[in-house]
Amino acid sequence: MIGQRVLRVEDKRFLRGEGRYVADIALPFMREAYVLRSPQPHARIVSFDASAALALEGVDAVYTAADLPASLTPIPCRIPTHGDMTPFLQYPLARDVVRFVGEPIAVIVASSRALAEDAAELVAIEFEPLPVVADAKAALDPATPKMYPPGNIATQWGFDLGKVDDAFAQADIVVEKSFSIQRHSAMPLETRGLIASYDKARSYLEVWGPTKVPHTNRAMLARMLGMRDGDIRFAEPDVGGSFGARGEFYPEDIFIPYFAIKLGKPIRWIEDRQEHFASINHSRECTFQVKASATKDGRITAFDVVLVADLGAYIRTHGDVVPSHAAASFPGPYAIRNYRVAATAALSNKTPSGTLRAPGMFEANFAREQIVDMLAEKLGMDRAEIRRRNLIKPDEMPWYVGTQSVNRPTLFDSGDFPGLFEESVSRFGWSTPLPKGEGPVRRGRGIVALVEPSGFGPFESARIEIDPAGFATIFTGASNQGQGHETMLPQVAAEVLGIAHDRFRVRHGDTAMIPYGGGSYASRTAVMGANAVHRAALAVKAKALAAAAQMLQAKEDELALDDGKVIVAANPSRFVTLAHIARVLTPGNAELVPAPKDFIKDDHDGLTGEVFLRAIPSGTAVFSVHMADIALDTGTGELKVERYCVSGDVGRAINPMIVEGQLVGGVVQGIGGALLEELAYDEDGNLQTGSFADYLLPSSHEVPRIEALVVEKAKSISNDLGVKGCGEIGISGVAAVLANAIAHALGTGARPTKLPLTTERLLDLVEPGS
Amino acid sequence: MKPAPFDYEAPTTVADALKLLGSHEDARPIAGGQSLVPMLAFRLARPSLLVDLNRIPSLSGIEEKGGVLRIGAMTRQAKVLASDVVKRHAPLLVQALENVGHPPTRARGTIGGSCAHADPAAELPSAMIALDATMVIAGSGGERRVRADDFFIGAFETALQPGEILVALELSKQQGVSAFLEVSARKGDFGIVTVAARVAVKDGRCIDAALVLGGIAERSVRCAEAERILKEQGATPKAIDAVLAALPLDAVTMDSRSASAAHRRRLIPELCRRAIEAALASQVTP
Ligand SMILES: Cc1cc2nc3c(=O)[nH]c(=O)nc-3n(C[C@H](O)[C@H](O)[C@H](O)COP(=O)(O)OP(=O)(O)OC[C@H]3O[C@@H](n4cnc5c(N)ncnc54)[C@H](O)[C@@H]3O)c2cc1C
Repeated sequence: MIGQRVLRVEDKRFLRGEGRYVADIALPFMREAYVLRSPQPHARIVSFDASAALALEGVDAVYTAADLPASLTPIPCRIPTHGDMTPFLQYPLARDVVRFVGEPIAVIVASSRALAEDAAELVAIEFEPLPVVADAKAALDPATPKMYPPGNIATQWGFDLGKVDDAFAQADIVVEKSFSIQRHSAMPLETRGLIASYDKARSYLEVWGPTKVPHTNRAMLARMLGMRDGDIRFAEPDVGGSFGARGEFYPEDIFIPYFAIKLGKPIRWIEDRQEHFASINHSRECTFQVKASATKDGRITAFDVVLVADLGAYIRTHGDVVPSHAAASFPGPYAIRNYRVAATAALSNKTPSGTLRAPGMFEANFAREQIVDMLAEKLGMDRAEIRRRNLIKPDEMPWYVGTQSVNRPTLFDSGDFPGLFEESVSRFGWSTPLPKGEGPVRRGRGIVALVEPSGFGPFESARIEIDPAGFATIFTGASNQGQGHETMLPQVAAEVLGIAHDRFRVRHGDTAMIPYGGGSYASRTAVMGANAVHRAALAVKAKALAAAAQMLQAKEDELALDDGKVIVAANPSRFVTLAHIARVLTPGNAELVPAPKDFIKDDHDGLTGEVFLRAIPSGTAVFSVHMADIALDTGTGELKVERYCVSGDVGRAINPMIVEGQLVGGVVQGIGGALLEELAYDEDGNLQTGSFADYLLPSSHEVPRIEALVVEKAKSISNDLGVKGCGEIGISGVAAVLANAIAHALGTGARPTKLPLTTERLLDLVEPGS
Repeated sequence: MKPAPFDYEAPTTVADALKLLGSHEDARPIAGGQSLVPMLAFRLARPSLLVDLNRIPSLSGIEEKGGVLRIGAMTRQAKVLASDVVKRHAPLLVQALENVGHPPTRARGTIGGSCAHADPAAELPSAMIALDATMVIAGSGGERRVRADDFFIGAFETALQPGEILVALELSKQQGVSAFLEVSARKGDFGIVTVAARVAVKDGRCIDAALVLGGIAERSVRCAEAERILKEQGATPKAIDAVLAALPLDAVTMDSRSASAAHRRRLIPELCRRAIEAALASQVTP
């Protein structure tokens, strides 16, 4: 089962339009909410008058911060940060001051969403504009007025490893360049949404729509509202994408449930696309100033980096994790011991930020891999060769970079980087000549090497239950936003239990069914979720064999599992089915545990297995190579990606088709981030992106056929299955490889240093100075 | 993103539609809805009454009569794109449509809707101007005909008066060969710069030419001087150089984050040259 290209069982319902998303759920007496958001980037709220809105027939309430508990804290940051960030946390609803376009000010509850929007037009708010901090550059300027009493800088930190200054002094060559990555974010086709319903008499709050980390978020809600964890159920419906941004604890996650309690009726809020642009965590916006040195023979000796990230107006649940990862992992897959980075997380009057698939890594790879190409160019060395000479070798594993991020050491547990590198280069045909450009078209080829962490902790759970008909249910603590867990996890259990994978169902994301769950992020489900399922299956197997030994009057080591049965290996006609064993092990069944005569005793607990697994903090490292051929029209700046190959050594591919899908999908998303997508602001802090006519996602025309080379050589040494995560390597190197291919096509030393790579920017590179 | 309240009627004749449009101050026709529905959702359009033209059979269809091709305003863009008659009679229209949106938007979006909407970056207005189309307009006072060049006035502004309906476009047979080229952020997006080029060469002489730029100003811009040079000097390489030097680059007023005016200006000569060359290259030698 493991290693087979099983078709995704969940696709049937998705393709038929039978998925059940939060907007498909409705409850009796349910009302709809509309969130009234700030049109101002930075302003004091002078007055707020909702009387005309409240007079509209069908409007139940217009709630503001004053309707939330006076004791309510801002939304806490859930991961360790560099220094204290509490001054910059966001209250769920703005109190006196709004700090970005899109900040929630009020919640209008009405009989329909359309009516709530009608009411919103009748709310009169008077603002007194405050000075705007437009971007990180302004934030760093001491002359800029302060957004917060401590200033406009959330935090600064750094690392200084080895002897960077000495390395530069002794280097044969030094190169230097600045790079900037634009603000963009996740665009799940299903926007966010919540339904909250409160049973006051039983004190039970149910919330549909959470995802990613439902247990963490439930605890956060309970803490903020002073409720008990057990009084709250979070339930994940089908979810149309997250990519890291969706499913964090957002302002709506507290005020929608709270106002449902307050109103005494269920409330549904479905984010629309326009809201999504302004309210989803933004990501990626940062600049790198990079200096690098090398010896004549192409050994890279040092990186010196200044990283400035623009985190927006508030610190959210993710703190400074994005630049933190970028700073910790900048040296990438290369054996470099002299590394210095000075990092700054700046604040500006823009939407707050969080993670997006390959957080910090997409950005760092864009800068580092171009600098590596610049070293090669200056040395006159082949660009694959310089990488070859600097990759960390298998006998240098485990490799500790010397940095840490969110209290986790940056550590590569295992890997054969040179092995995959050579395989990728030869598969692609790195040294085969490029087709000649015709007319104004110039062709170029790029290569990128990178390493991604995966399988971050802290823990994961799994429970497997076999019912008396022989069907199995997997309860996983991992949540699901479409990745294919409902197919992949049963493959793992099926491998151990010898039950056909289609006799499984997977339940996830529901705190009423699953006591503890870690969730889904950081390419972790195959690593943590699947290993938990694997061990739970082993527990079920052990139980089944023990019971079967009694039932068959055989020794356990004479038994084997085969197609839903426990057989005597030497004589397969002697067997019991797992269904039979499950019946026998049903609590109350007298067959193996007869009723006690005089005192109660422990009973069977079913044919079940339950496991809680603790992760190693640094996860498991995945190596990947990206290569691409591009054609640049030097007359128009139009770019065509003609060939793309992405490879990854994932240790073990539970379902190679799903792994390839992750790689290919990641590349597609990365093409968007490299060429098209931008959450743009004008210099006054006004968001310019309001629809998919402004925020351009890649379509089939912009995407070439993508080859995914999935390799299973370097097993992870830190988990039973030997798997490594594959969710982020696909996106991580796209901007970098396209930039390198473009620079190669230009052949003039000009480089695309500013994302996204619009036709205008590319034509500027062709015609310097214009 | 929910529309403000509106009333809705779906008449089956042009006469009824005109009556309904005249009965309400803020009545507005809806065709394929590909531009109007988003405008409603964003509350950028707030009509009191929507008059749905989709149930009026007489507004759809492609018909060639006496050398004139008549395309009903409600004819779907996809239908026109797939039409052999149109391909023969006015290939430039097909070439332009290949750049308009995507199969799903063209399946709903109409020829008339795109013209009535008059987005400054839309492809069809340029094609209509380059083809010298006649726009047939119905109003309470009957039908009137307006030349495309006079129909398109500004950004989202046409010669249509409140209460009027665009009922059809009339095209005489296209003179000469043509090409439509554009640069856009993605295939199917509105153009950053679009060029409609049409050149009629006979006995080595250029007897007619049209060169129309889109996406650069409030409305499509006809390159009168460049057309004159083509007609006077013929479509020779030397003439093309002169044409490129005579392009109305000062007409560029569009300047946006996604493409600056300077970028649009430098794209214009490049695209014009390619469009003229592509048109000439498509000339079938008998
Ligand atoms: C994803 C997407 C991509 C697109 N890409 C492009 C593109 O690349 N190029 C491009 O040009 N367009 C593009 N469009 C717009 C599309 O072409 C629209 O179809 C067109 O602009 C409007 O035609 P419609 O029939 O949908 O009109 P509607 O949206 O119904 O109406 C548009 C306007 O015209 C008026 N109107 C419509 N018909 C008449 C009539 N017969 N008489 C009087 N007034 C009328 C309406 O009142 C309204 O004001 C795109 C749209 C989408 C959704």
